[in-house]
Amino acid sequence: MFYVSMFFQYMGQYMKTRLQYRADLVVEILSDLLNQAVNLVFILVVFGHTQLLAGWSKDEIIFIYGFFLVPYAIFSSFFNIWDFNDRYIVKGEMDRILTRPIHSLFQIILERIELESLFGAVTGLIVIFYAGSSIGLEIAWYDPILFIVFAIGGALAYGAIFIAIASIGFWSDAKNSIMPMMYNIGNYGRYPVDIYNKVIRFVLTWILPFAFVGVYPAAYFLGKKEWYAFSFATPIIGLIFFMIAVVIWNQGVKRYRGAGN
Amino acid sequence: MSNAIEVKQLRKEFKVFSSRSGLKGAFRDLLTRKYKVVPAVNDINFTVKQGEMVAYIGENGAGKSTTIKMLTGILTPTSGSVRVNGMDPHREREKFARTIGVVFGQRSQLWWDIAVQESFRLLKKVYKVPDEQYNEHMAHIIETLDIGPLLDKPVRKLSLGQRMRCELAAALIHNPPLLFLDEPTIGLDVLVKVKIRQFLKDINQKYNTTILLTTHDLADIEAVCDRVVMLDEGKIIYDGGLQSLKNNWAEEKEIHFQFLEEVRLSQLESLPLLFETSWDYDEKNQTFIAYIKEESDNISQLISAVVSHFKIKDVNILETSIEEIVRNIYEQGISTAVRGV
Repeated sequence: MFYVSMFFQYMGQYMKTRLQYRADLVVEILSDLLNQAVNLVFILVVFGHTQLLAGWSKDEIIFIYGFFLVPYAIFSSFFNIWDFNDRYIVKGEMDRILTRPIHSLFQIILERIELESLFGAVTGLIVIFYAGSSIGLEIAWYDPILFIVFAIGGALAYGAIFIAIASIGFWSDAKNSIMPMMYNIGNYGRYPVDIYNKVIRFVLTWILPFAFVGVYPAAYFLGKKEWYAFSFATPIIGLIFFMIAVVIWNQGVKRYRGAGN
Repeated sequence: MSNAIEVKQLRKEFKVFSSRSGLKGAFRDLLTRKYKVVPAVNDINFTVKQGEMVAYIGENGAGKSTTIKMLTGILTPTSGSVRVNGMDPHREREKFARTIGVVFGQRSQLWWDIAVQESFRLLKKVYKVPDEQYNEHMAHIIETLDIGPLLDKPVRKLSLGQRMRCELAAALIHNPPLLFLDEPTIGLDVLVKVKIRQFLKDINQKYNTTILLTTHDLADIEAVCDRVVMLDEGKIIYDGGLQSLKNNWAEEKEIHFQFLEEVRLSQLESLPLLFETSWDYDEKNQTFIAYIKEESDNISQLISAVVSHFKIKDVNILETSIEEIVRNIYEQGISTAVRGV
């Protein structure tokens, strides 16, 4: 309960910060919208040239891509920890975090909220509806609920990977280039996994579960029965990986060395 | 609860990577790394009673910050035990954090872009402070620190002194029984320093708040603290009252002279004086420095002797700084220092 109220308190603080710079806010919203529009055109143009990929039709691939954008938008709004090492460990901001009575990871997530990334979800939804209607998918009454559950599960899985990688900063103070690499690998989840070879598929499912952000949950809405088991595993995988990530984080905090003054 | 802080055999080691020299060494470093284990805090023991005001001093790198970070639950000790407010800081961190206030001179607790009062409001929620307590308690703090007019300004527009006073207020929102201050007066002008010292004494009297502060300013300690704990290379080398520390170790005064005419060191050394004086020449500032024992009227005797022989441009009498006291103790050996306890 305390954490829920803290979430809204920090959200309020974030809004206030944003409203301090009015011009900035307007420009940012405009550029975000423009960015998403460009993204949308890009997706339609690129996939316009694809026909069939390992048994997936063009529209199905577009649908998966669209679905991916939704958990990805949730992830980018709430798990903004790609610069954790620089911002919190090297600069010693972690000291301040650790003297406050809220779980350290939760505080960092709250401090780094970036709600404008949620615009990406709008693009995702447009893509989904566009692709869904050309395939002729029907929406059952429970589909929106499953959609939300799967999207959150995917976002948790995505977040878990990045939390685990951010935790490396507790063990080594050297800058590492794993973060940007991970963003690239994350993109593999946007395409059907059966176009990759077995090893990559295994990795994307069980080690870096990016496939649970895009293709697996999307397969359910596309009525691909052979993938249903994976689809419904999405929220579970998301939770399990997230819990593992939090354990790694907690271990890391014990190793925190602090920055010199 | 009588003891706010209990520290037993507390130790923190850091692994430091020591690189070999040369290109060949760099290649060898790639394969096998050599680590040195350095104890930043070396088996220290001390207790602080509720309501005490303690200065924690030492040279840079002596282990002050490391100790404070272990006491506040930021760092996990390598070995030994820490009990603060009856809790283990790093194990029960979130519960523990509610019972302490922390001010790190170089780090801000406040939100940079928004008004000070908005930061206060959020911290009030974070620490679950009830409205009544907040209104009554904070009204007093805001008035004593004189920050009322600053509350609606964004933190980024405040001066260092203004910000520091706001930081102090922010650390006290939940009225903690224990307050840690790491260099609270660094870089501040004298008026602000005086105000902060007075404020610390006030809250200590009013709420019996325990205060542990690190500082390089002897005046801070004189004004605020009744006890001094001094660290050197991770070990406590002095723990006791400020007065006995000064009596034993700060007996020397420095007197700086600048002359209008050319004067040689040997001329000064041959001045007829009844007590021992050692002279030094600081070439950079063209200043002659006399070191004398602070007894009876030594200072006036020295100055009158110098003035009667040479034309002086400037005289400066300096209080011994903490660094010098530490250096004195360090040079004369730890064993004699501990006897002063």
